[in-house]
Amino acid sequence: MIKKTFKIPDMTCSNCAMKLESLEDTLEGVNEINASYHRLEMVVEYDETQLTEEQIIAAVKKKGYQAIPV
Amino acid sequence: MSKNQTKPIDPVIVVTLGVLLVAVAFALIAFQPQSNSIGIAANSGTLTQLMVAFVTGLTTGGLSCLAVQGGLLASSLAHQIEQDYLGQSAQNKKRSKKGQTAVARSNTALPIFLFLLSKLIAYTLLGALLGWFGSFLALSPVTRAVLMIAIGIFMIGNALRMFNVHPIFRYFSVEPPKFITRYIRKTAKGTDAITPLFLGFLTVFIPCGVTQAMMVTALGTGSALMGAALLFAFTLGTSPVFFIIAYLTTELGARLEKFFMRFVAVVLLLLGLATLDGGLNLMGSPYSFTNLTRGLTTSASDSGTPASAPSTDLTLMVRNDGYFPQILTAVANQPVVLALVTNKTYSCSRDFVIPHLNFYQLLPDTGTVQVNIPAQPAGTKIFFTCSMGMYTGAIIFE
Repeated sequence: MIKKTFKIPDMTCSNCAMKLESLEDTLEGVNEINASYHRLEMVVEYDETQLTEEQIIAAVKKKGYQAIPV
Repeated sequence: MSKNQTKPIDPVIVVTLGVLLVAVAFALIAFQPQSNSIGIAANSGTLTQLMVAFVTGLTTGGLSCLAVQGGLLASSLAHQIEQDYLGQSAQNKKRSKKGQTAVARSNTALPIFLFLLSKLIAYTLLGALLGWFGSFLALSPVTRAVLMIAIGIFMIGNALRMFNVHPIFRYFSVEPPKFITRYIRKTAKGTDAITPLFLGFLTVFIPCGVTQAMMVTALGTGSALMGAALLFAFTLGTSPVFFIIAYLTTELGARLEKFFMRFVAVVLLLLGLATLDGGLNLMGSPYSFTNLTRGLTTSASDSGTPASAPSTDLTLMVRNDGYFPQILTAVANQPVVLALVTNKTYSCSRDFVIPHLNFYQLLPDTGTVQVNIPAQPAGTKIFFTCSMGMYTGAIIFE
């Protein structure tokens, strides 16, 4: 398991954080997601053997946001 | 076929609908003071308050609620709708293709309706609880003023956050605890009728700024029944906007949300400024926008009742649309008697407050109430207002 932080510059409210956290339920290999609208970032804890950074970025994009690895 | 069902709706139509609702609400407010002919009896003040709550819900409440609860709940409902739709599609494929669209449409509306119904019940109960709790607290005009100022700042901060003015304003957005959002999310996965009902009930944990203001008002009523009625009227008012937008959001997604948020921000900013101004009025502050600009506006609005020479006997007409004259002149260094005259007055102007004297009284809808004002030195300016800080005026001692 590794933890990776992504900047999400286009979050507009705390609901966006909740939407991003819902990726926990759909992305295979994710253990936990903590998104913060206050800091405009998302910390993903995931299994790197099952999931790649690119896949996370693509899933975030599907939700309507841009994820920039920190 | 599925493309037909998710056909995008022009955001202009949505905004037009919003503007239309706001216009209807303003029309209701504008015509409300002239509603004497309806012949509402003694409890008309209560009815007026409920009407104001309903109109607030219909306009800003619905939009503000949408800003806080809309995204999460619409997406949660979308999940539910998606599940319903997939289930229905699979069944309908086996049957005739004709009925497919109609079934899917009715399923889209039902969860939102159930959600709003549950929300209405939850807030009514919350209102009863707050009103009951408020009966143990005596909210003085000063306390209420402080609350109004705090709520006003909260609303302005949120509007500036929506406009992305500075990162600091992001802290005006209250992030619900993770365990609550996680719990709501897990619950939203259910596809039965209980899920939207339960989700609607959970919205009491994520109230928007305007709802919070209304909750404080419910607290201030000091009555379980009145508190329940107030939040019922308010939540009922929010329902049409919430229903329309939630329904459309499931079809338009984030695109509409971002577009509409700007409109919400403008409304929230205006409401925040008005609330802040009301709070300052209620405190008797000479620095409220209303009191600062009084000199520019009084001459026109006081027509027919000009301020006369300084006197120790003052008469103030308390009307549905405010106080007349707005400026009274009193003799300095002598006690003054102020007669407050009401005549079929049902608006909030009946809740008369003189912050400087810590005087507060609910006036009869028709009659005269006398207030004894102790001697004041020359140059003193005492402001008076209604309990909502909407209608104001001043007594100048010369």
